[in-house]
Amino acid sequence: MTDGPTRVSGDLIIRDAHVLDPASGLDGIADVRLSDGRVAEVGENLRGTRRLDADGLHLFPGFVDVHAHWRTPGREDEETIETGSAAAAAGGFTSVVMMPNTDPIVDRPVVVSGLVRRVERESRVRAYVSAALHEGLEGERLTEMRLLKEAGAFCVSDDGLGTQSAGVLRNAMLYAKSAGLPVILHCEDHTLATGVVHDGVAAALAGMPGSPGSAEDVATATALVLATETGARVHVTHVSTALSAALVGFFKGRGDITADTTPHHLTLTDDLVGTLEGLYRVNPPLRPDADRLDVGKALKDGILDFVATDHAPHASEEKELPLEEAAPGFLGHETAFSALYTELVAKPGGRLSLSRLVETMACTPGRWVKGGAYGISPGAPADLTLVDLSEQWTVRAEALVSRSSNSPYLGRRLEGRVVGTMVGGELVYDGMGARFGARV
Amino acid sequence: MQIKNFLTLEEASRDELREVLDLARTYEAGHMVPTLAGKTVCLAFFEASTRTAVSFELAARRAGADVISLSEKGSAIQKGESLIDTVVTLDALGADAIVIRHPAAGAARLAARYTNAAIVNAGDGCGQHPTQALLDLHALSNSLGDFDELVGRKVAVVGDVLHSRVARSVIPAFRAAGMEVSLVAPDTLLPREAEAWGCPILPSVDDALDWGAEVLYTLRLQNERMTSRSPRVPSVAEYARYYGVAKRHLKPGVLVMHPGPVNRGVEISGDVVLANSSLVPDQVASGIAVRSAVLALAVSAAQKVAA
Repeated sequence: MTDGPTRVSGDLIIRDAHVLDPASGLDGIADVRLSDGRVAEVGENLRGTRRLDADGLHLFPGFVDVHAHWRTPGREDEETIETGSAAAAAGGFTSVVMMPNTDPIVDRPVVVSGLVRRVERESRVRAYVSAALHEGLEGERLTEMRLLKEAGAFCVSDDGLGTQSAGVLRNAMLYAKSAGLPVILHCEDHTLATGVVHDGVAAALAGMPGSPGSAEDVATATALVLATETGARVHVTHVSTALSAALVGFFKGRGDITADTTPHHLTLTDDLVGTLEGLYRVNPPLRPDADRLDVGKALKDGILDFVATDHAPHASEEKELPLEEAAPGFLGHETAFSALYTELVAKPGGRLSLSRLVETMACTPGRWVKGGAYGISPGAPADLTLVDLSEQWTVRAEALVSRSSNSPYLGRRLEGRVVGTMVGGELVYDGMGARFGARV
Repeated sequence: MQIKNFLTLEEASRDELREVLDLARTYEAGHMVPTLAGKTVCLAFFEASTRTAVSFELAARRAGADVISLSEKGSAIQKGESLIDTVVTLDALGADAIVIRHPAAGAARLAARYTNAAIVNAGDGCGQHPTQALLDLHALSNSLGDFDELVGRKVAVVGDVLHSRVARSVIPAFRAAGMEVSLVAPDTLLPREAEAWGCPILPSVDDALDWGAEVLYTLRLQNERMTSRSPRVPSVAEYARYYGVAKRHLKPGVLVMHPGPVNRGVEISGDVVLANSSLVPDQVASGIAVRSAVLALAVSAAQKVAA
């Protein structure tokens, strides 16, 4: 599914939801009328041919995930466009950017156009293709960015591997700027990132090879300096250290720079290294609590612009291994909102307001992707997320929609749950089945 | 004109350009006089060149000069003699003009400090290539009928401006001739401060034609711009698609130029290089008369300085 509303006959009224949209300043019980796949009206006692009772639920602008791996092409045993987009919908995401480190890598126009066609047929949510920043993600030769863009690429990225040469990165930024493509950067210096977990106390005690925070910080600093100099539109993804967040803060406003962090870096720490379980390997690695707290504060203060999940499915044979041998990566779509709501909003002393959480999961990434205002306002596509904040649930592998099960929250009890997701006015996820069906 | 050294066209005036081109035109009309009879022109080529070296040698001989070429193998240059020592030696041998090609920008200017002979810059690094720009103006003037016909016309300089000494000469030369100049290149092939030229920067040859370009001046793209050491262009396919001149661009009233040697299928598609609207052969042909004129004017100015 790509841009543009989906046609649904007749007007639908979402009745009595608590509408919360920081972008348009909505925060209260209201009715929302949808027409022709778009938001038509927000008000009281609205009328339409169909009705969806949502009293007791919250209605947010659809969440937007700028960082996902749907493993297609190449690893359809781990995820497909169908299952990845279903998992995204189950997590309340209505727009997703697909990363290019697949097999083959998305570095040629024909691969991009193939993916764009498949997205139209197979995706439940709007999906955007990120092409590779350099050929084979080898960090040597630039990709045909202008031809990639013509084929339908939305942005370019070095995700998964980073760009080791500052000279290549600088040229890649300049060329992307000429091509009119935003750049999403994975900041990691391979000469420093030689371990498998964060190089901290937990690694020392566990006897696990560590990668220091500097592996991220050095590369982040390089990227930010070059972004400032070239004027390219640069987005730094999965910021996980206090220093990298501070660097983003320093460079922000000096260039066209944005940054995100992930739900797992905001909610989990390297204490999990002590389990020695492959499930908890991720890149960048989980950091100590001090980093987690500073990264959270940077998100709260707007230094980090939004949350992106880095949804990275892996087959069980790649995760049920000693930590050192496991593939890095976590599922992200289905637990993102609940994990963040539980740990940062609902928890006593929670440091993030619900409004800021919605802003960082929907409005800001939405604006980044759509290039304009993103929220619940008349004329906007009806991309919406319904959440029941009172629901508590336990994450179970067998209940996950994703084709894989590598969620770091398995077995955890979370608060707040996405119960419905609409894209272009069409219900693409119905977590309450009968209830919605009865009322529609 | 009292120009002893042809080092750069950055400050060239319209009148100065016209004087060279007028003289070249009289030579072409068959009024070549052996201005340089008894004079010695030395070609000091510190960098490989075929067409420029041959063109200068013919130009000097047509004007009656004795020519010494230091570009051949076995010369002192091949043995690693320094620029300054070479120039001092040629000066001591009585050179009246020294034509210098060198891989470093500023080499010709430096050489001029060590000799009373006239210095003609035949291309210095990514700096200047003044005689190329002069012969380009000459070929274009001939094609349009007259030097004055250039006034108000639009020329797009397409390609690797960053590494091009030709670009650094033709941009000011076209402007001095009264033309409007735009640049067509990705940011990777432009100097960081390309805005300093004050020219519009356009994203493709198609955009240049929309802008109203009547002359597409294409530059050579070196293959090394695509390699891993400093990748600036992804592929020939992408470059040709946006920055290459193809048959579809050949509208009436649009001329195509290139300083050579051409990468067919990269800057210019094979069927365009020798098309009617291509001035590529005219550019080469203009070189001799223009360079004779440059040498004649420079030697004459050098004599006046000495006198």
